[in-house]
Amino acid sequence: MKKILLFLAACMLAAGEVSGQQLSGRDVIQKVKDRPDGDTRYGEMELTLRKKNGSTRQRKVTSWAMDEGKDTKKMMFFTYPGDVKGTGFLTWDYDEIGKEDAKWLYLPAMKKTRRISGSSSKTDYFMGTDFTYDDMGQRHVDEDKHKLLREETRNNHKCWVVESVPVDKHEIYSRKVTWIRQDCLIADHVEYYDKLNKLHRVLDILEVKKIQGFWTILKMEMKNVQTEHSTTIVVKNSQYNVKADKALFTVAKLEKGL
Amino acid sequence: MRHLSLFALLLLCIIPRPASAQDGDSLCVGVKGFVDTYHAVRTEAPNDWMSSHSRVRGEVTLEKGNAGAFISANLVHDAILKEHSGFQLREVYAYYSDNHWDVRAGRQIITWGVADALRLTDIISPMDYTEFLAEDYDDIRIPVGGLRLRYSREKWNAEVVAVPVSSFFDLPTDAVNPWSIGPVPIGNEPARKACNMEYGGRLSFFLSGIDFSFSALHTWNKQPVLCNGVGEYRRMTMVGADVSVPVGKFVVRGEVAEYLDELQSGGARAASTNALVGLDWYAGNDWTLSAQYSHKNVAWGEHRDTGLSTLRLSKDLLHNTLSLQTFAYIDVTNGGVFNRLSADYALNDQLHAILGYDLFHADSGMFSVYKKNSELFVKLKYNF
Repeated sequence: MKKILLFLAACMLAAGEVSGQQLSGRDVIQKVKDRPDGDTRYGEMELTLRKKNGSTRQRKVTSWAMDEGKDTKKMMFFTYPGDVKGTGFLTWDYDEIGKEDAKWLYLPAMKKTRRISGSSSKTDYFMGTDFTYDDMGQRHVDEDKHKLLREETRNNHKCWVVESVPVDKHEIYSRKVTWIRQDCLIADHVEYYDKLNKLHRVLDILEVKKIQGFWTILKMEMKNVQTEHSTTIVVKNSQYNVKADKALFTVAKLEKGL
Repeated sequence: MRHLSLFALLLLCIIPRPASAQDGDSLCVGVKGFVDTYHAVRTEAPNDWMSSHSRVRGEVTLEKGNAGAFISANLVHDAILKEHSGFQLREVYAYYSDNHWDVRAGRQIITWGVADALRLTDIISPMDYTEFLAEDYDDIRIPVGGLRLRYSREKWNAEVVAVPVSSFFDLPTDAVNPWSIGPVPIGNEPARKACNMEYGGRLSFFLSGIDFSFSALHTWNKQPVLCNGVGEYRRMTMVGADVSVPVGKFVVRGEVAEYLDELQSGGARAASTNALVGLDWYAGNDWTLSAQYSHKNVAWGEHRDTGLSTLRLSKDLLHNTLSLQTFAYIDVTNGGVFNRLSADYALNDQLHAILGYDLFHADSGMFSVYKKNSELFVKLKYNF
């Protein structure tokens, strides 16, 4: 009984210490980055591009990812529409700031793999969607200066509100403000501001679920509020700790295809 | 006809089912392809039709576990070159692939090197010049019947190829063809004997800041060379290397190939050195610029040095639904140009409309035979 009381006292002390700590914006973003997501991952994404007039286009992508220390290897194939079906991207994302990611693009019609620039596409929009390549991947925590603005409740979720200003002035946004859910360390809402500090794009995470013990985004929408073009991503068949080893993330497998 | 029926049956009956992370021993079937129609009219007198063809391309992959098969074929209707209408089998091969080994046996397109639309080390699969280069580059490659064995590790792979059934360039010599180079007699292709087999290998490395490869191939001059007025084929050996280095928003590419004992015009044999340097600029905002210069030096003879350049500029617009591109071959030695300018608009997810202009400008050199072949083309393509 004495041991139990001692244990409870220790727990209360520890809890008091944590709540008493002042989290910085960087701490919050680091927590988000460190959110457990398994050593390997698999997912199928459906991207729906919606114009202001309501007409839509669709893209479908299948991807695998594997962590290697702080670095991540990714393999991605387009499965729809037909003109890009089979096109593959292999990426070795390095955590080290300044070390260029290694990227290869496989074009099935040409039956050829190209080494592509590791740095240029980050600010380009991914396949005509409203997400940049950077949005689709993970930014290094120190690529932005973060400031914890406040805590507030949004959509019944207690959130940290963090403002992030990119260190590199060539980024397409001047700042972004992120509402991060404290229960699952996933953003609930993100606002991107352009170089004139006008609201440019808004990201809403519409559905989050725990799969195999890992919090997973199942649906999200990015809207360009200036053009009213939007992109919805629905993630299907998410799996963690799938059977995938280093051999999957090679140029040979990229050329082999799905 | 039997091939055609089998192919149509496969296309019609198979229900596509994409592979997933869980698939292991179940049979996976993948079907893709397109239906397109392409028409081009000469913009100079007599303003005749240069091309007019429609086709269905079907590609079927059957896979169970580590083994599978791939079939690719065309069904073509050509209103100008009527003998090109009908069923065309492109690739048919069986494969086995695990984490490290990849074996392909059958009729296949094999590509090597880092050059874009130029061939230095990439000389296994020849070209179909029926409509010269006025078709998509990937439609021009001719498969070869052979075996490719590849062993791959994380950062390198080794590949050996053996091609018992060689393929050679298709040249437009038919007078009916607006792309005809004239009635050039072509000698017999090498007999299909073991001693005429092509063989070679390639060792490639993929590292964080550089890709590079070394290659060697005992082959043939796949494009016939005129000797006493007849196009001939002779043995030659290629030894080559290529490299790609990403530097910020650029990728620098280089490729060299030494052709040993290459057949030269007139029948002499001489070594030639082929070198290429290229630069790709991923400028952002969906702009891409790519430039290459390729130089050939023959060890001896009259016209020892020739240079060919390419320039590609492309821009995607309207959320990648409109793609504008200009791609030019520049004959540096003779001052000729072939420039393909195109606009590709995606009418919906499946249907693309492409409008373009092929410009030829040359008084001498490789493009001069086509100096009156500038054309306006339109293409509709439905992908499935």
